[in-house]
Amino acid sequence: MRFNYIQLSLILSACIMLFSCGDQLELTPAQSVDQEIALNSDANIKRVLIGAYANMRDEEFWGGRTILYAEMLGANNEIRWEGTFNQPREIYNKSIFTNNSFITNTWLRSYSAINVVNNILEVIDLVDEADRDRILGEALFIRGAIYFELAKLYGLPYSEGNANINLAVPLVLSPTREVSEEDLLPRNTVEEVYQQVLEDLETAEDLLPASNGFFARNYVASALLSRVYLQMERFEDARDAANRSITVATENGKSLIDDYMSAFNNPADTQEDLFAIQVNAQDPDNAMHLFYSTPDFGGRDGDVTILDAHINQYEEGDERLEQFVERAGEIRTDKWRDQFRNVKVIRLAEMYLTRAEANFREGTSIGATPLEDINRIRARVNLPAKSSLSLEEILMERKLELAHEGHYIHDIKRTRGEIQDNNTTDLQYNFDDPRMVLPIPQREMDANPELVQNSGYGG
Amino acid sequence: MKRSLLIVMMVLLAWPITGWAQSRTLTGQVISGEDNLTLPGVNVRIKDTNRGTVTDIDGTFSIPVSNGETLVFSYIGFITQEVEVGNQNTLNITLQPDAQTLGEVVVVGYGSVTRGDLTGNVASLKGSEIANVPVPTFQEALQGRMSGVFVESSSGKVGEGVKIRVRGTSSISGGNEPLYVIDGIPVTSSGTIGKSNPLADINFNDIESFEVLKDASAAAIYGARASNGVVLITTKSGTSGKTKFNVGIQRGVSSPTRRNEFLNSAQYIELMRESGYNNDLANGLDPINNPADYEDSDLEFVEGRLDRYAGHTDWREGNVNTDWQEQAFNPDAGITNVNFSASGGDEKTRFYFSTAYDKQEGIMIRNNFERISGRLNLDHKISDRFSLGANFSLARTETTRLPEDNQFNNPIQLVALAPITPIRDENGVLYDRPTTTYYNNLIDSENANWLTTSFRNINSIFGEYVFSEKLKFRSDFAVDIINQNDERFFGSRTITGQGTNGFGTSRWARIVNYNTNNYFTYTNTFSDRHQLEAVAGMSFQKTEDNYTRVDGQEFPLDDLKTLESAAEIVEGTSTFTNFSFLSYFSRINYKLDNKYLMTLSARYDASSRFGENNKYGFFPAGSIGWIITEEGFLKGSEGLSLLKIRTSYGLTGNAEIGNFDHLGLFGPVSYGLQPGLEPTQIYNPNLTWETTAQFNVGIEFGLFSDRLTGELDYYDKQTSDLLLLVPVPGTTGFATQRQNIGKMQNYGFEVVLNSANYADQNFSWNTSFNFARNINRVRELAEGQNSIPPSNSRFLNGIFVGEAIGVFYGPKYAGVDPGNGDALYYSNEALTETTNDYNDAARMVVGDPNPDFIAGITNNLTYKNVELSFLFQGVFGNEIYEGGAGFYAANGDWFDNSTAEQINRWQNPGDITNIPQARLGECNGCNASSRYISDGSYVRLKTLSLGYNLPSNLTDQMKISSARIYLMAQNLLTFTSYMGWDPEVNADYLGSTTSDANVFQGNDFYSAPQAKTFSIGLNVGF
Repeated sequence: MRFNYIQLSLILSACIMLFSCGDQLELTPAQSVDQEIALNSDANIKRVLIGAYANMRDEEFWGGRTILYAEMLGANNEIRWEGTFNQPREIYNKSIFTNNSFITNTWLRSYSAINVVNNILEVIDLVDEADRDRILGEALFIRGAIYFELAKLYGLPYSEGNANINLAVPLVLSPTREVSEEDLLPRNTVEEVYQQVLEDLETAEDLLPASNGFFARNYVASALLSRVYLQMERFEDARDAANRSITVATENGKSLIDDYMSAFNNPADTQEDLFAIQVNAQDPDNAMHLFYSTPDFGGRDGDVTILDAHINQYEEGDERLEQFVERAGEIRTDKWRDQFRNVKVIRLAEMYLTRAEANFREGTSIGATPLEDINRIRARVNLPAKSSLSLEEILMERKLELAHEGHYIHDIKRTRGEIQDNNTTDLQYNFDDPRMVLPIPQREMDANPELVQNSGYGG
Repeated sequence: MKRSLLIVMMVLLAWPITGWAQSRTLTGQVISGEDNLTLPGVNVRIKDTNRGTVTDIDGTFSIPVSNGETLVFSYIGFITQEVEVGNQNTLNITLQPDAQTLGEVVVVGYGSVTRGDLTGNVASLKGSEIANVPVPTFQEALQGRMSGVFVESSSGKVGEGVKIRVRGTSSISGGNEPLYVIDGIPVTSSGTIGKSNPLADINFNDIESFEVLKDASAAAIYGARASNGVVLITTKSGTSGKTKFNVGIQRGVSSPTRRNEFLNSAQYIELMRESGYNNDLANGLDPINNPADYEDSDLEFVEGRLDRYAGHTDWREGNVNTDWQEQAFNPDAGITNVNFSASGGDEKTRFYFSTAYDKQEGIMIRNNFERISGRLNLDHKISDRFSLGANFSLARTETTRLPEDNQFNNPIQLVALAPITPIRDENGVLYDRPTTTYYNNLIDSENANWLTTSFRNINSIFGEYVFSEKLKFRSDFAVDIINQNDERFFGSRTITGQGTNGFGTSRWARIVNYNTNNYFTYTNTFSDRHQLEAVAGMSFQKTEDNYTRVDGQEFPLDDLKTLESAAEIVEGTSTFTNFSFLSYFSRINYKLDNKYLMTLSARYDASSRFGENNKYGFFPAGSIGWIITEEGFLKGSEGLSLLKIRTSYGLTGNAEIGNFDHLGLFGPVSYGLQPGLEPTQIYNPNLTWETTAQFNVGIEFGLFSDRLTGELDYYDKQTSDLLLLVPVPGTTGFATQRQNIGKMQNYGFEVVLNSANYADQNFSWNTSFNFARNINRVRELAEGQNSIPPSNSRFLNGIFVGEAIGVFYGPKYAGVDPGNGDALYYSNEALTETTNDYNDAARMVVGDPNPDFIAGITNNLTYKNVELSFLFQGVFGNEIYEGGAGFYAANGDWFDNSTAEQINRWQNPGDITNIPQARLGECNGCNASSRYISDGSYVRLKTLSLGYNLPSNLTDQMKISSARIYLMAQNLLTFTSYMGWDPEVNADYLGSTTSDANVFQGNDFYSAPQAKTFSIGLNVGF
């Protein structure tokens, strides 16, 4: 068989037609979209807002780690870390390495969320006017909440007194489009960060509606503001914010659950939850469950044991004692027992305790008397009503009601208390001890020469 | 094809001179020592005469001779053999292959050249040299056999990734694996599910030859994908003539190369009690001498734990001493291989057909690999001008897989369990936590399944049209399809499925790679002096990758394992990604007077992976060579049979980056079951390939009629525009950005020596040696950036300008304070001051995972019908960081069992030791530091084979053409001072991203040791 030139040129041109493929070089990804598309419409920007929640929700932030750090720092020899993970153990031992990966990731995750918020703020005018206030309010709520956690974790307490000098974290208020020298930001002071937090949260409180599913609502912003004011020892503001939160929340159906233990291990927000991170099998991370629960409930090995020193502080008959159960060979708290359950961030009970304390300190009875609020908490756990109160009693009620939920260390810091070391009996940490402040992550120190390390972490 | 052409030519040349009349006729047969098949076309001549003949299609010859004459047997690619004629009338000869001769044909991109004409650096290996090596992938079999080609299996898990580095690591964040090209088609070599290795789909008994293109001249024709070297694989093709069958059977047993020694029960109890008691003493308590102190003491805590870990037994009685390490190993490990091939054809049509079954029962429990493969290579001449052909291959692999090294259900992690813990309770049920310290992953053996099944088709068709003697055109079209399914089920008793009544995953991946090459080849000789060959053409490749995954839990029974039975589907995803390359290429080979050589080549590449400002790249290379022995003053020299110098320079690229790294992207996330978007990548329209400029100079020589041949090469690879994941301040919302920034250098030299030490009729001995020294240096990072320090608190690898990639950086361990047992670190780089505070320790470069040099030496000995071959392979000067040591060599820091040398810990003031005092949970020296670095150099008896070829009188009786029985051993002996399991190691979970895989080298983290295999086999040809 022999081809003539016509046949040959047919074959050749067929080959060329088959493989003319210049347009095959312009391929687009299937799992991502260009940034221009993501930020170009009302509908898309609202999706980006969900992205901000998703970052805040990550296990490295409110998905459990910020609570875990607080519990490890404030262990006070009342709990024992027994897990193999060295990252929590370092915090528990107040001997933290600057390359602690948990602490590094919390930093990165926080700023990732802040960048998402800043992206939204830049294009907020594209959001439909009807929803603009809400979207803006939610975005600012998230940013305020994150800077508040960062300030508490990476800076000395506000109560230390030198908030104008002490360093917290860099404030970033605009989105990142490209990376340049201008991104090498120094740390802002504790005062500057707190002021930004107040501005964000106060604006959010004004803009947010009272009803918004499990997303940010105005009374959630009020509740968070009350925490900020408490840290700043602005008790009058804390009282008013807590009172606003209680008032609006109860008007919108929130109330204490009758049975204390029913307030935990919930797959959806309960009547008592002002704000909780939504956890489900699709989005399963809950860092508190992971470490506090036991294998029979999908946890790790039972990495945290509750010691007698803690349990002995409860009064006899206190229904809150029901949370302490022996599992995997040691006493555990059941507050974090079940898998795929929401992470409690703010419960209504906290607002009653905050209002009671602030009213007590101010000698006022805004909303209710301190005694009414405290007895409300006590009655729910089957404890007899008190007829008189001291600040110590209010703080003890607060400690026990909110135990293992990440509050104690922050209360110790603002009330200038001290924390007992877990290993050495005669070692206590003062509220402003640098060892109770997390280090700036080493990777961040390496990437940004403008940063100054916290004292006690090399330099 | 080449061989048959040659036969025809030689038959033609030899024909006129066979009519010489002589006193008697000698007959015989010539067999190839390579594969024991008969050799047609061998030139048989009587020395110092012009009388001769060639062997026929069965390798037989017949020649008139007189006594006392000497017969010379010669054939291209084989060592020439001389035999004196005695009284015999028959003479059977086995010709030994010559590893390196001028006439050897070397496959290069889009063509082939004879080795003598080569001006680039190409390492070659015949497939027959690695036949029957008992390993699942050909990559492992290449280890130690090609100079400058570094091969490392990450662990002894079968069917997993193998790292290959050609002349060092040239990229920090991009891929560093070579491009694999099979029969001209770039194949998919990564991207399959988990750690599975797509190259394990290839039956390497089908491979005729390997060529590794190392320098720019050889590789630049593959342009933007050539910086890491190119591995060209040519599969076997049929030879016309009588159909030849070959059947092989091989069985073997495997065991771990090395074990680690752990504490027994008594030693464990002593260590843990001491550890708790030391804490008590430090706290002013003495629970042993003062019983009042016992309550709430650490000693009480430890003894409570020991009670727990002892299960139903009493640790004080010392009856239980479980060797957990042994439980991780499969006592029935071994290999099975059965293969069958047939090849033959006529003048127009030739075929090679094969099928094979391979099974590796891994040395770890729950880890097996099985491959069934088939191949048909067919070519057909339609006319003198037009030919067509097709290569079809199909393979199915099934792997029962293991999790990554850091998972609790990695079998080796069993070593962490306490020796005082019995394996099973009184009812015969496997103990689990809280009785075991950690998850007892033997439960996975009873209650979990994990199977990956992969189907692989590599099919190509080609047509070739010869316009004239000078010009031809070839067109290839190929598809490479990987269809992979990964099914996992973890029952209700496993760590994974415990909280959820079982957990199951089903994953599917399909990777389809389309490729076409179309090119012209022009050859001509002008004025008898100028020989020219030119190649020009285009190629297009597009790869599409689909992936689907579903996870479910809440199964009614552990017997129902498919997701149909899952009450709750917890995750489902599907993804799609693709990339394309459009390329134009050309090469010109020019030879003047058979002694001056020149090659110019270039490729113009465009890819969807590059940013809009840098879509197209040009990669030129040139080389020249001079065969000095062809000059008059050296020609015919007895001692110096070959001397050639050559040098090359050129540019290649590395495009092994993500498919869409240049775009500014938002990706999907969700919160509360609502869909969301978040920024995932910063925009970079300038993103492009990494460029490597490589200089090479080499010398090739042959001494004593090529009895000793060799190659020496020096090279310098300068890579710039590194695709670097530059760490940026986290405050930007990102951790890294990919930029073309930074420089890296690899330079070094390579030595190849081949020696025919001795050869006569009965005995021959060949030695082949290769050596490569590569020096890797990071030369530049982002502006103002001198380092990318370790990003993981448990491992030390970092990147530093002026150092090799991935050096270990961290505190330098200064031993133990003899006074108090504290772990000490140097607090200054001058190593004059020490501290017991890890945070105060000076951080510095404390080790290097890159080898100083690698080497291999093969000896082949043949005595009559017996062959002995052994390969020693070595890696020298690298260090290994033992990440798991922070748990099992941490002087009783926690309840993990410890390695045996921990009995040498500090106990009393004045003790001189490197192991600090035991302190429970205090991390006295357990952090990442140089404490856990040790020398990773090793020498291995990699392959040892002993074969016996049945003599022809026996095979004739059996009506077969050849039969060979052999013993073959792999990794039989390992010489090393490494402290851990096996020095050929790299913890697999650290390489989850490409950049991590580059940087995290030389780490051991409960990684499985390599397999030592001893096998016996039989090959029969008929």
